[in-house]
Amino acid sequence: MNKTILIIEDEPALRKILSDLLQKNSFSILEAKDGKEGVTIALEKHPDLILLDLLMPVMNGMEALKKIRQDVWGEKVPVIILTNLSATDEKLVQDMVTERPLYYLIKSDWNINDVVKKVKEVLV
Amino acid sequence: MKKLIFSICLLVFIIPPTVFAQDSTSTSLSVKIAPGELLPVSVKLSNFGGGNKVDVTITYGITSDKNIEIYKTSDTVAVETTNNFVKTIQIPFNTSPGIYTEKTSIAYQGQAAPATSEFKFNVERKIFGVFQSQFLLYGGITLLISILMVFIGYWIVKNRTTRFTPIDYSNIPKHERVFYELISDTILGMRQKVGDRALDVVSQVEGITLDENTGRVVKLTRTPSKIIAELVAGYEKILGEKVSFSFREPR
Repeated sequence: MNKTILIIEDEPALRKILSDLLQKNSFSILEAKDGKEGVTIALEKHPDLILLDLLMPVMNGMEALKKIRQDVWGEKVPVIILTNLSATDEKLVQDMVTERPLYYLIKSDWNINDVVKKVKEVLV
Repeated sequence: MKKLIFSICLLVFIIPPTVFAQDSTSTSLSVKIAPGELLPVSVKLSNFGGGNKVDVTITYGITSDKNIEIYKTSDTVAVETTNNFVKTIQIPFNTSPGIYTEKTSIAYQGQAAPATSEFKFNVERKIFGVFQSQFLLYGGITLLISILMVFIGYWIVKNRTTRFTPIDYSNIPKHERVFYELISDTILGMRQKVGDRALDVVSQVEGITLDENTGRVVKLTRTPSKIIAELVAGYEKILGEKVSFSFREPR
């Protein structure tokens, strides 16, 4: 059975590129356009991995991650943060350490194929 | 007449066709030869008959261990006092592997007693120029050495510790360990990118003590998340780009 990845990303273009490429690599994809929708889908569908943006409308990525981590299933789900937000803020670092994503990847440093490689490292 | 005291002494040796040691008594089975190869037979004839030249017919024969003759030939040579030479016998190509006997006998006019000499040798096929038994032996040894090398190589790579090997902080209490690991791995990542300039940034951040030799984080005396944020800011200044992280699997 294909592993399922939830992409929580407010940029439709990036969401589509990620979705297409991951589907080509035999993953099933769920999509959410903001943190709130992401939490709902995550807790309902229990994906195998979450790709999470931080800066999003309605509910930001870190808030969404905190809510997911409160769930018994969500406590251990692997999360890769994909963001352009620099980790130079003390509170963000503290949250990151508390919520333990696997990776904190800066979008501008990572091309999509490398992100897919990281996903495969985690799931395959 | 000197005929009565005339005799021929026959001594036959084989010259080892391979690099293996050969007893000059010609009875050792350590001599191996492959079908189609030449078996050298050293023949020494001595005439004790007082200087009369005698024609001696030498017969060479090869028989299998089931007494089947696979080769036979004869030569005639004149012997006045001594005659030493090497006769080469080509082992037939269709010879089956096994133990064979080379028998050399002589005949001459007025012969008082038969004179024969024989020795056993082994016929074995070759694979890529190496005898079958040796091929298996050497092949096995080579395979074992290769497997051993792979394991040693794997062990070396696995246990290699360099300045870019993540440092173990299992001695640090669990609630603090994640900060030590994150700071340590961030410095490590930066050293890979910008070399020891990464350490200059560390020296400008308050509250962090590093072991200069190992790069190990020794002590944190300020809020760790603040230290990390300052480190990241420092590295972003040097690199001109934002910094990504990876977290270690929780133990």
